[in-house]
Amino acid sequence: MEGHTVRTFDGELLNLRMRALAMGGLAIDQVQRAVQALVRDDDDDAREVIARGAQITRYAQAIEDELVALIARRQPVASDLKAILAIGRVATDLERVGNAARKIARLAIELHAAPSGAPLHKFHGDVRKMSRLALAMLRDALDAFDRVDVVSAATLAPRDQELDAEFQLALRELVTYVMEDQRNLQSTIQTVFLIKALERVGDHARNIAAIVPRLARREDVGVVAGAREEGGSPVEMLPAVAVRRDESLPPQSSSG
Amino acid sequence: MATELATNDAGARASVPRALVSAAADLSTPGEKIETRTVGQVTVANPVMTARRVNVHYSDKHAIKDVSIDIARNAVIAFIGPSGCGKSTFLRCLNRMNDTIESARVDGLIALDGQDINDKRQDVVQLRARVGMVFQKPNPFPKSIYENIAYGPRIHGLVANRADLDEVVQTSLQKAGLWDEVKDRLENPGTGLSGGQQQRLCIARAIAVDPEVILMDEPCSALDPIATARIEDLIDELRQNYAIVIVTHNMQQAARVSQRTAYFHLGDLVEVGATDQVFTNPRHKLTEDYITGRFG
Repeated sequence: MEGHTVRTFDGELLNLRMRALAMGGLAIDQVQRAVQALVRDDDDDAREVIARGAQITRYAQAIEDELVALIARRQPVASDLKAILAIGRVATDLERVGNAARKIARLAIELHAAPSGAPLHKFHGDVRKMSRLALAMLRDALDAFDRVDVVSAATLAPRDQELDAEFQLALRELVTYVMEDQRNLQSTIQTVFLIKALERVGDHARNIAAIVPRLARREDVGVVAGAREEGGSPVEMLPAVAVRRDESLPPQSSSG
Repeated sequence: MATELATNDAGARASVPRALVSAAADLSTPGEKIETRTVGQVTVANPVMTARRVNVHYSDKHAIKDVSIDIARNAVIAFIGPSGCGKSTFLRCLNRMNDTIESARVDGLIALDGQDINDKRQDVVQLRARVGMVFQKPNPFPKSIYENIAYGPRIHGLVANRADLDEVVQTSLQKAGLWDEVKDRLENPGTGLSGGQQQRLCIARAIAVDPEVILMDEPCSALDPIATARIEDLIDELRQNYAIVIVTHNMQQAARVSQRTAYFHLGDLVEVGATDQVFTNPRHKLTEDYITGRFG
């Protein structure tokens, strides 16, 4: 995004991107800590995740304010405008990842308070696996966004399907668990919400990756530009045009 | 040899008589196509003006290089590009304003409604009535508001009597959005109006002779933002009746007022396309670099 004649614009764009990536780092950490709080029975950690949620909201607000100011002052077009709007969309997805982390932390506290005997730790393995997949997706999506790596971004859709499959598998297992003992209903529903939150993290990673191809500039014209710069071949062919020699043209009255 | 000019895409394939256009001599076979290095939509259906392989030299300087483009009816096309890219030079080719420059040499074909405008028998005064021009600085005649408008129709013999002339003056001023502001002082000097009003007076003067095309060379660069907005609004109305070609340094203005945008660079027409496309997905790197402000 560098190279503007007005160099402060480069700096502003860079700041904005860095802020979005920092926000991404925080969102990843939040999900990680929320899952850890669950599997380690650590309510203090879970409460900290909930408290830190406000930081993510502040990031999102700051990014939005900067976006609006940048558009108002610089009137960006083409790739700049798309890059700026993309950062806004990434921030929206990351804010929702932050919400998912908070939800996981809240559910962890509720599940820890569930009547003993509910063997929910059985599902910790599923939760760990899903969070591993989801967090790796999020990291790679942000990395692909940062580097505008279309190839890497393209891997996210199939990986999201993998995560969805894990979710469905865990869901089926949880259903059998309720069927065994209806007293497990409440904690099972809470667990469903929890794994659904992880599945949503994967969706957000996929959304972020989906932006990347739109940021890749002029992929269809690289060849054309190259040909031209080498002083090379014609790009397009135009139909020739004929003119009418109109005998009724008025006589010449001035040479202008 | 009255080969009818095809005025639509399908038919625009007939030949150009060799004698007319030396630079376009290789166009002489029907159905033959000419090459262009311009990226994008150069041709349009039923164009009002057609330029093919236009070259302009000022002494040794090659100012316009093999430019081919169609000008569409009832649409605004904006020419953008850095200073010295040739956009004004090319604009001036469209009504032979370069004739007045001793060292300028124009080759190639430029046709208005199928007639070669550089044909020796083309009356250049007539041409400039059909292809009117509005300049960077408003340049009303040092005469009354009424006379500024009346002059053209009178010398072109477009009106039979005073009543007709009054009507032309009124409708021209109305079309230019100036009538309500000046109807009570038509005898006042045109130079007494504000800058924005003077520019609208010049637009009224151009449309009084019933042109087909209006060329505008940086028409708002001497105006404040409100006067600029009024001219832009006017441009949008005028395109119902005229083809408009506007040269502007203000890219936002090009984005606001035009339906097509052409990007010039060092005498080349690099890219032309729908304005929406050019400002969101420019196909050529030079266009992208220019519109995003990455250009030295």
